[in-house]
Amino acid sequence: MKVSVVRGGGLAGIVETTTADSETLAPDDAARLRNKVDETGFFDLPGDVPPAGGGSGGADRFHYAVTIEDDDRTHTVRRAEPDLPEALGALIDWVSSVPGRRTGLTPPGGSP
Amino acid sequence: MTTSCPLCCIAPPDLLIAIAERGDAADREAAQRTLAASAVLRAQREEATRRRREAGADTEVQGVATQVGGRRTVYDAGHGTEAALPGRKVRGEGDEPVADTAVNEAYDGAGLTYSFYKDVYERDSIDGKGMELISSVHYGTDFDNAFWNGSQMVYGDGSGRIFVKGGLTKDIDVVAHELTHGVTQMTAALDYSKQPGALNESFSDVFGSLVKQHHLGQTADQADWLIGAGILGSALTGQALRSMKAPGTANDLDHQASSMSGYADLPDDNDPAHDNGGVHINSGIPNRAFYLAATAIGGHAWEAAGRIWYVTLTGHLEPTSDFSAAADATLATAGELFGAASHERQAVNAAWKEVGVL
Repeated sequence: MKVSVVRGGGLAGIVETTTADSETLAPDDAARLRNKVDETGFFDLPGDVPPAGGGSGGADRFHYAVTIEDDDRTHTVRRAEPDLPEALGALIDWVSSVPGRRTGLTPPGGSP
Repeated sequence: MTTSCPLCCIAPPDLLIAIAERGDAADREAAQRTLAASAVLRAQREEATRRRREAGADTEVQGVATQVGGRRTVYDAGHGTEAALPGRKVRGEGDEPVADTAVNEAYDGAGLTYSFYKDVYERDSIDGKGMELISSVHYGTDFDNAFWNGSQMVYGDGSGRIFVKGGLTKDIDVVAHELTHGVTQMTAALDYSKQPGALNESFSDVFGSLVKQHHLGQTADQADWLIGAGILGSALTGQALRSMKAPGTANDLDHQASSMSGYADLPDDNDPAHDNGGVHINSGIPNRAFYLAATAIGGHAWEAAGRIWYVTLTGHLEPTSDFSAAADATLATAGELFGAASHERQAVNAAWKEVGVL
């Protein structure tokens, strides 16, 4: 199972991509990754939900695209930061700090 | 529906959509009710903003706290996210400093921004009617962002990677940038998308930098014209987040456009890599136009160039205004304020030409 988190927007506008792959994580972390993903009900989440805020939704918010590859399934979920479901937010926080993750920064405009 | 806690009622919409589509009958009904209520809440929030813009806030507007004179209140979000806002009140207007540096910096930054708008442009707070300035610090965990959420300021702690820990409240230009998003919301209400979104970003950088220049007493040629100087984390190499003087040079990942030849025509398609249609990349173009106009005019940038941009933002733009409309509006404003043949109007004209908008 491979989880990829692309975060863009924010005050800086910089795009950060973080990837955690169960093949390269410690066995305990690989099991935790699968549990965290299961808790999100990820493959049943609607893929693309536009920001809920409308004209008063603020500025400089983060935007996320989370892609998970598992066996022959791949799904991408896109959300503005305030619209993240709680379990998905927890998965993102965990992936962003797990040892063995890979991260990269790019300017806005590039392909994630 | 309840209106007792408007900021706490933002439900994750996709969870509700999923339940509305797939849950059992009772769950479906509840989710549909909540979705409808969320839509009503959003509509009310937009209506409150519109009424505040049009009528001012002499009377209490539903869902938005109203105070007189830009009172400051700082809250501790306790590492929670949207649902935790504003958090626990830790410092109110006139209270002594507390032990938490982030709280005091948010308080002082809001005060300097309020004083700038009041002293220079006679604007009484974000809405022009003394709106309370609410800030929450310690949002999320190692959160690399500060933002305006439509009602208040919010600051993360920084992770050390993009921003140094504790850095997001350190720079007055960053604080003033975010509060200016509130001013824009209450005035031109520029769409946060493509060119209107890049203008929205640029006005925040312009007045963010001007608040700093005013605080330091600098003239246009003395100012550094940087946004976020000295707060970059270890993953970035450079001196600041953005440079208005030389967009695209502030750090190794700064690819801001400095003229229309570098304009990034990105879609606004909810892809995080596209940044609402390039709002933080194309803002370099109007940023540099302001820098060029201000330095050509000379003296304190907030006096002539700043006033032209302020009057334009608060009276001569609409939500869909693009770069060309903003250029025309600043030219017309410069003519009204200083005369059709004035040095100021000529400087504004030359600046927009230099960046390829006119």
